[in-house]
Amino acid sequence: MEQILNSEASVIENQKPIIEFRGVSKTYPTGTHALEDVNIKINNGEFVFVVGSSGAGKSTFMKLIMREEKANTGEINVNGFNLMTIKHKEIPLLRRTMGIVFQDFRLIPTMNVFDNVAFAMHVVGASGRNIRREVSKALSKVGLGNKARSMPMQLSGGEQQRVGLARALVNSPDLIIADEPTGNVDPNMSYDIVNMLTEINKLGTTVLMVTHDHNLVRDFQHRVIMLDGGKIVADNAGGGLQ
Amino acid sequence: MSLGSVKYLIKEGFKNAWVNRLMTLASVGVLVACMIVIGLALLITENVNKAIGNLEQQNVVMVYMKDYNWALYSDSAKTDATESSTENQAEETEAADKNGIKESDYVIHNEKEAKALCDKIGDISNVATVTFVSSDEGLETAKKSMTQGQEDYFTFLNEEYGNPISAAAKVTMKDMALFSQTIEEIEKLEGVDVIQSQDDLADTINSIKKGVGVAGIWIIGILFIIALVIVSNTIRVTMYTRKLEISIMKAVGATDTFIRIPFIVEGIIMGIISAIIAEGLLYFCYRVATETIISSLGTTDIVKYSDMAWILLLVFMGIGLFAGIVGSIIIISKYLRKEGSEFAAI
Repeated sequence: MEQILNSEASVIENQKPIIEFRGVSKTYPTGTHALEDVNIKINNGEFVFVVGSSGAGKSTFMKLIMREEKANTGEINVNGFNLMTIKHKEIPLLRRTMGIVFQDFRLIPTMNVFDNVAFAMHVVGASGRNIRREVSKALSKVGLGNKARSMPMQLSGGEQQRVGLARALVNSPDLIIADEPTGNVDPNMSYDIVNMLTEINKLGTTVLMVTHDHNLVRDFQHRVIMLDGGKIVADNAGGGLQ
Repeated sequence: MSLGSVKYLIKEGFKNAWVNRLMTLASVGVLVACMIVIGLALLITENVNKAIGNLEQQNVVMVYMKDYNWALYSDSAKTDATESSTENQAEETEAADKNGIKESDYVIHNEKEAKALCDKIGDISNVATVTFVSSDEGLETAKKSMTQGQEDYFTFLNEEYGNPISAAAKVTMKDMALFSQTIEEIEKLEGVDVIQSQDDLADTINSIKKGVGVAGIWIIGILFIIALVIVSNTIRVTMYTRKLEISIMKAVGATDTFIRIPFIVEGIIMGIISAIIAEGLLYFCYRVATETIISSLGTTDIVKYSDMAWILLLVFMGIGLFAGIVGSIIIISKYLRKEGSEFAAI
């Protein structure tokens, strides 16, 4: 009986929103209304595709989550941080709870694969021993264990993106934000990358992925949030479109 | 921040300086030039101060005493007058009082009292040296600058009435800026009669000192600002070349301090390297310059580099470190405030 209760508690815990937007609006100083009255909940452990045309508000949506921008009105909670009241010095702590994968990989060309991944751990003050262990684990996870000493320029686009993924994973974040991670890789590699993200998601990490690739959205049965004109126009949370 | 992180960041700073070695070298070059000019300004100021110091030592103030010798001389004169007309004795006494010539005024009756007054003058804080000049010495010195007629007259006076020159104290001062104040203090001492000084020379020395001081401060100040701007610019360039790294650092949760440290280390490296090079070059330049001056002018009264070496090295290190640290902090803070948060290309 106790076991069942614990299991239920775990499910409830798992259902806690890791990202919550309540009545969020964002207007830039130029007068552009990027988001209008956005209400959304993304639960712990979910895999969410964010789709929408250019200018739909995807960038602003992601920037608000990463606290690169601040909303004008409403309330945003991410991983236990209230982003409307968060102090400047706490922003790095918020970002340490998330791993970011960039469309253009953003690898440092003068560093080899190992150092590119280790870089993310140095930033959070990890010890040398821990860095060696975790970087090796992360590289193995993305299938690049044998390319640790290669330079980014020696890798294919897909491999470079996997290094980016390893870097996002290495600090064991609760949330992965992937900004069109398949935008610069060939279609086959795109599926590999989303498969990897799905595997990571299965281990409990929440994944939020921006994409323009409808095939991926169709083939991977995950939640889809569609933005248009700064508003959420579709969200299949719980299985159906809202 | 852990020791590992500090080591990593210092290593990164060195790496940055090496990766941007051309820019670092250019900045070091200009910094060295600034430091050398600052060093030269300091050395010139020091040499001018030394020269002025010598001039100050030569600016002698003569303090003449209310000397009994002179009193005797006066009394002799007075006695003659009394002999010539006893009716005028009362008037003469009155006249003497009006002029303040009373016997009680002559507080210096012998050499011991004169030297005691010299000691009192020497106790004044700004007085550098006091030399007692007896009446006889004074007369001999005075005769040297006299025409034959004047000399004969003074010899006559000396033989007839006694030495007309009173005992004196030859005084030099430490700081000419306090010249008037010191003269006032000497005047207040009992037994001082007349003070003979070169006020114009004191004023000239003071204005030269002030001028050199002000010019030195301006030169050092301007060059210091130039040094700051140069380091800032190098750091700015380095920062833009490392924009990608900074954006990734921010994305993975680096604090502003963590991002700043390698740049500050780079600034410090530039400062230290510049200071060492400037010290070496300035030593060489100064040695060549002083050797030329000594051989052409024959003067050896020049400040030795070894006397200033540590001060100059400290000044250079101070300039280099301050410019390196402050320059990098200003630029990075500005960058992080304005652009550093844009890490996502979404």
